[in-house]
Amino acid sequence: MKLQLRKISFRLFLLLPLLVFAVAIQAQSDPTGKSPATRTYAITNATIVQAPGKVLEGATIIFNNGLISSVGTNVSIPSNAEVIDGTDLFVYPGFIDGMSYTGAVQPKSLPRPDNLFTPDPPNDYAGITPENHVIEQISVSENSISDMRQNGFTISHTVPYGRMLPGSGALITLIDAENRDDLVMYNDVSMYTQFVGAPGAYPGNTLGIMAKWRNLFRNAVNSKQHSTMYASNAAGMQRPTRDRTLEAFYPVVSSDKPVFYNASSLLEAQRAIRLQKELGFALTLGNLKEGWDLAPFIKETGTKVFLSLDLPKEPKAAKEKDKTDEVKHLEERRMEFYKKYVTQPVVMQNAGIKFGLSTMGTTGGKVKDNLITLIEHGLSEDATLAALTINAAELLKIDHITGTLDAGKLANAVISTGPIFDKESFIKYVFVDGDKHEYDKKEKKSSSAEGSQAVIGNWTYTVTSPEGVQTGTMIIREESGALAGTISGMRGGPDADMKNLTFVDGSLSFDFSFDAGGQSVEIVVVGTVTGNEYDAEASIAAFSISFPFTATKDEGK
Amino acid sequence: MKQFNMYKTIFLTALLLLGATVAQAQVKKGDVLIKNGTLLTISQGTMENTDLLVKDGKISKIGKNLKAPNGVEVVDASGQFVLPGIIDAHSHIAGTSINEGTSQVTAEVTMEDVVNPLDISIYRAVAGGVTAINLMHGSANVIGGRNETLKLRWGSTNPDDLRFEGAPRTIKFALGENPTRGGRARGIQPQSRMGVEAMLRNAFSDALVYKKAWADYRADKNKRKVAPEYDLRMETLVDILDGKILVHSHSYRADEIYMLMKVFTDFGIKKLTFQHANEAYKVAPELAAFGAMASVFADWWAYKLEVYYSTAYNAAILTKNGVTTSINSDDGELIRHLFHEAAKTQKYGDLSDDEALALVTLNPAKQLGIDHRVGSLEQGKDADFVIFDKHPLSTYAIPQRTFIDGVKYFDIDTDAKDQRIFIDPESSIEVVQIFNREDQHKCMDDADLVYLNDLLNNN
Amino acid sequence: MNKLIKLLVFVFTLAPIFAVAQNNDANKARGGKFALTNAKIYTVTNGIIENGTVIINNGIIEAVGANVRIPADAEVFDYKGREVYPGMIDSGTKLGLQEIGSIAESKDFREFGDITPHMQALSAVNPNSVAIPVTRVSGVTTTLTMPEGGVLPGTAATINLFGYTPDQMYAGSKGVVMNFPSAQRRWRQTEEQAKKARETALKTVNDAWDKAEIYAKIQNSPDTRYYPEMEALAKVVNGEMLLYIEVNTAKDIVSALEWIEERGYEKVVFTGVAEGWRVADKIAKAGISVIAGPVQSLPTRQSDAYDAAYKNPSVMQKAGIKVALRTSDTENSRNLPYHAGFAAAYGMGREEALKAVTINAAEIMGVGSSIGSIEVGKKANIFVATGDPFETSTQIINVFIDGYLVPMTSRQTELYDEFLHRVPGTQKNTVKTDG
Repeated sequence: MKLQLRKISFRLFLLLPLLVFAVAIQAQSDPTGKSPATRTYAITNATIVQAPGKVLEGATIIFNNGLISSVGTNVSIPSNAEVIDGTDLFVYPGFIDGMSYTGAVQPKSLPRPDNLFTPDPPNDYAGITPENHVIEQISVSENSISDMRQNGFTISHTVPYGRMLPGSGALITLIDAENRDDLVMYNDVSMYTQFVGAPGAYPGNTLGIMAKWRNLFRNAVNSKQHSTMYASNAAGMQRPTRDRTLEAFYPVVSSDKPVFYNASSLLEAQRAIRLQKELGFALTLGNLKEGWDLAPFIKETGTKVFLSLDLPKEPKAAKEKDKTDEVKHLEERRMEFYKKYVTQPVVMQNAGIKFGLSTMGTTGGKVKDNLITLIEHGLSEDATLAALTINAAELLKIDHITGTLDAGKLANAVISTGPIFDKESFIKYVFVDGDKHEYDKKEKKSSSAEGSQAVIGNWTYTVTSPEGVQTGTMIIREESGALAGTISGMRGGPDADMKNLTFVDGSLSFDFSFDAGGQSVEIVVVGTVTGNEYDAEASIAAFSISFPFTATKDEGK
Repeated sequence: MKQFNMYKTIFLTALLLLGATVAQAQVKKGDVLIKNGTLLTISQGTMENTDLLVKDGKISKIGKNLKAPNGVEVVDASGQFVLPGIIDAHSHIAGTSINEGTSQVTAEVTMEDVVNPLDISIYRAVAGGVTAINLMHGSANVIGGRNETLKLRWGSTNPDDLRFEGAPRTIKFALGENPTRGGRARGIQPQSRMGVEAMLRNAFSDALVYKKAWADYRADKNKRKVAPEYDLRMETLVDILDGKILVHSHSYRADEIYMLMKVFTDFGIKKLTFQHANEAYKVAPELAAFGAMASVFADWWAYKLEVYYSTAYNAAILTKNGVTTSINSDDGELIRHLFHEAAKTQKYGDLSDDEALALVTLNPAKQLGIDHRVGSLEQGKDADFVIFDKHPLSTYAIPQRTFIDGVKYFDIDTDAKDQRIFIDPESSIEVVQIFNREDQHKCMDDADLVYLNDLLNNN
Repeated sequence: MNKLIKLLVFVFTLAPIFAVAQNNDANKARGGKFALTNAKIYTVTNGIIENGTVIINNGIIEAVGANVRIPADAEVFDYKGREVYPGMIDSGTKLGLQEIGSIAESKDFREFGDITPHMQALSAVNPNSVAIPVTRVSGVTTTLTMPEGGVLPGTAATINLFGYTPDQMYAGSKGVVMNFPSAQRRWRQTEEQAKKARETALKTVNDAWDKAEIYAKIQNSPDTRYYPEMEALAKVVNGEMLLYIEVNTAKDIVSALEWIEERGYEKVVFTGVAEGWRVADKIAKAGISVIAGPVQSLPTRQSDAYDAAYKNPSVMQKAGIKVALRTSDTENSRNLPYHAGFAAAYGMGREEALKAVTINAAEIMGVGSSIGSIEVGKKANIFVATGDPFETSTQIINVFIDGYLVPMTSRQTELYDEFLHRVPGTQKNTVKTDG
């Protein structure tokens, strides 16, 4: 009897999210009681920051059916409104993420095709699919949506996972939705590209990627011209072959669609700039981490830029007692470069560059700490807010509907218990498209690391390959509520970060890649954990080869 | 709109044909007077107690008792030796990638795209008197990518600042074990030296077809003509056929060296330098007759089968047979003492001082097509030079100062210890890498990447 | 017939035959009694003799000095204007153990397993390796040939570069090789993680040595089992054999010094010692000798001065450490004099650098009484040069190893002779017209 009840409640639990959405949208009965009583909200007597520097004290803002209906100190409260007492609360425009994978799910890696070793391997394996759209990868249940929303983000420019040219990006609203289409505000807003080669196939690294980019672009120019001529008068002219990849370039060729380059490093950014200068497309640098020397170029050319919120960890100095002059010097120099990272936005600001921010590579939990770090290193709070709101909106051309708290714009707002960049304050409410999301202070940990204590610690691994038995160490730790890890190289190679590290139901999987003389080689490890033993298989996708991988967790820690 | 696109096509093609670097970097040029040095001019013998005046990055005068213009720095080189900046015709420093080895013909890729100005190896090479390098693509494939000629202007984070402005384009080919090993590992051609030849002939035959298609298109008076497919790979091969790109071919054995000369004769390609070329000495008369040049190691051998029948007398035999020969490093350590590597030709073959020094100055300049700019101390040439405390052919010689465009990039007296211009803030301050001589053969190891064993070794 | 006639008969009848025989034997070494006269002799241990003579008899240096009587039956070499040196010793190579780098079948320096101290490098030395003549004609007469691999990869041997069996080459010194566990901080590894990694690795080493110490005590018992690994290590424990510890980073060197102090082994030599300059005073205080090199190598850290590796031997030598040099090479062990030249230029000075490739090396290997200098009673490992052997313009004229005058040819010189002026040139079988 008991058993049956449990079963039923479990089934109900599964149905729950569906019911919520259904009710929210159809505004009918909701046996869960979770759908809101009204979609009209009044936050009263609050400090409302409509835009950076534009602050209303003791003011009220009204959200009605997804839009801001009024904002001011003398606003009448609709009778159907849920009133939130905003005394001591601070209301800001919802944050906008300039470039991220929020909402996207990494697709399974492709099997190795038979015809890999040709100058032109299949486009999907080569990672040349600019005709694809990120919506195909978006999942409404992706944790990153709620994670980023909890940290103030209401809209994300989401780009697809993949290699060189994975597809187009979309502007998505970070609501709870039933269908992924409901998330998409604007589809196909950018062509996303990055310096990621195909494992073991052309283009394998930056060399091939740069050449391929030029080749694609120039053929697109010719193909577009041919198509245009053919469309106006086909008589006596060869029919153009339809090539979806080249067609995806047409709006790029005409500069109607921006190219978002994932250019985190200085050298990547310089290469993106190099291509732009040669080919003349509309360039946006996204995920930029090391752009401190590029400010003059960015300013001069009006290149759009989203700076990375994924900051390096602050270097820790050695204990005073064992410090030699050399150690002191090296620590100073390392700190000098840490400062370059965390003052990048200030450099841009001083150069008069309007920039946004992107969260790619970081997690929601780190957002606030990193924003505070930027402010501590000289970025004004207004400039920080502008980067997260109005500047991002302008750069993404959505400032007509969002970016400030003005009547008529989307009801996207972040409400915190104090000034938003104060260490002590926390985000109490986030409104996205007029829907209220309420948070408690402590609810910070995301669920992905729960139960992960079983794998956290130091492991010694052994790989049995045709070359012989090799050993190394891997370290798995918890970082901002998620699992992270590093694995030492085989035969003394450099350490690699574990990527896609997941531990679910006793199954631990991760992948890592290393640079083998300029060629990135990806190894995927999948296996099960029993006690302190990990029994797995490591495979190199590019070579369709796998071999045993075992590891033992060190006792003690 | 239509016209605009047409214009754009022509413009882009023109750009490509010129191999133009759109970004023209602002490079520092210096003024300096070097007093009373022993000038090893290479082209005009040795001049003792002579001055060298540099104006705006160029050698403006060589002579006795020259006066420094107002404000120009004077360097006393009494008792010291001034050598043209050393040029390494085969290097892999200052590059973030070396091989696009995923396909057998990748003429479209270029090392220009992967220049890494942050590599500390640059400073270390400058401290060894090197002022220019040929940053080469690796040897994993038969036709690799274009190389990039650089001046080692250390200190800038902008790759464009390192480019040797105006240097002709060069490209890497590779013969023998490396490309055939790649073929075997993948189950494709080439797996033999026969296959390498066939692949070269196929590539150039394709390029001729491509060239004709575009020539026909350009000659077509029809306003509604349709352009053939654009192929950067073929464009590059056509430029090789047209003599606009100098070929530098990784090679070891005499037979493969001879084969490439025959292929090039058949396709009318003349500008050819053999890299490594450990067995070039066996076909030295043929190289001389063809006009091919050779860039070799001083004494590396036996690291693989195709270099087992080597001799350290290679450079001397080639030189004495009239082949323009250089000595290169292919390595971040060896590049620091190329003057010493050149000096070994006095032990192995009794080359004269001028012959030996030319191996790392004027001869590599010729091989890179930059000998009108660098490689000797002559009025009007770029002020790229290095000052030694002793004669550079002595093992005890230590470079004291290195100038590029008249700007000092290394000075032993003010050589601050930590020269890094980029530091990963998340790295440990104590990242130690123990030098392993076996890891040195960078270019040769590249081809191994296709091997699982090598992947696991991560060598 | 009187003696004179006998002699005349000899000269006119037999001598030409001898000469022919000698000609045919150009590639053969020969022993006997040799007098090296009118030479500038660098004895290394007893200064320079400006115009002296060395008598070699039956492999041994019989006399050295300015006023040495030349025996009547000695073959006399007039070395006027030449310089005579003790054969150079490369204190770390794989010479003889590897023929071609990329061909696994030609490599015999690495055995499977982590603890294999009983693997004998000497047994795998190929006396006919093509690289051996290439090396010795450059004046390098002796090398320490070492196995590589796991924690305790095997036993290294000092060999002279002439002989047709390993035993004919053996120069009388062996040593167990150990790779000291590295605490090298990896990328982004914390200090604690590095410490832990080192402790784990050290445990493997200590377990082996703990066992070896027990074995050393009980090995004479008839009931003790045959345990070749421990037998090899026991010799180190008993002080009968050298222990070469390969250790490079500053931290590892300090740990290795502590480890030795704890263990109390007597005959210990550090090899590699790339960061020795950072902790030279500590090594000197412990009285440990080092084999450093390759000198022509890169600094160990990106932040280090460009010439840190070039200066390393000099810094250690000046701190009072006995330093020998190595190339860590196989086919290019011939470059040892240039590594020494770099060490000399970067602070060591020529005299100390010469010791580092001769007497210091011999003494460190425990064969200082038989090789490493030109002294009466020592083995005749000698080379004759046109000048300073560290200079590339210098030619080596003759090389004596174990008293044998070895041929000055190698495959590399033979190829030079054949190809300098190749016949035919570009044209084969074409009629030449006189110009």
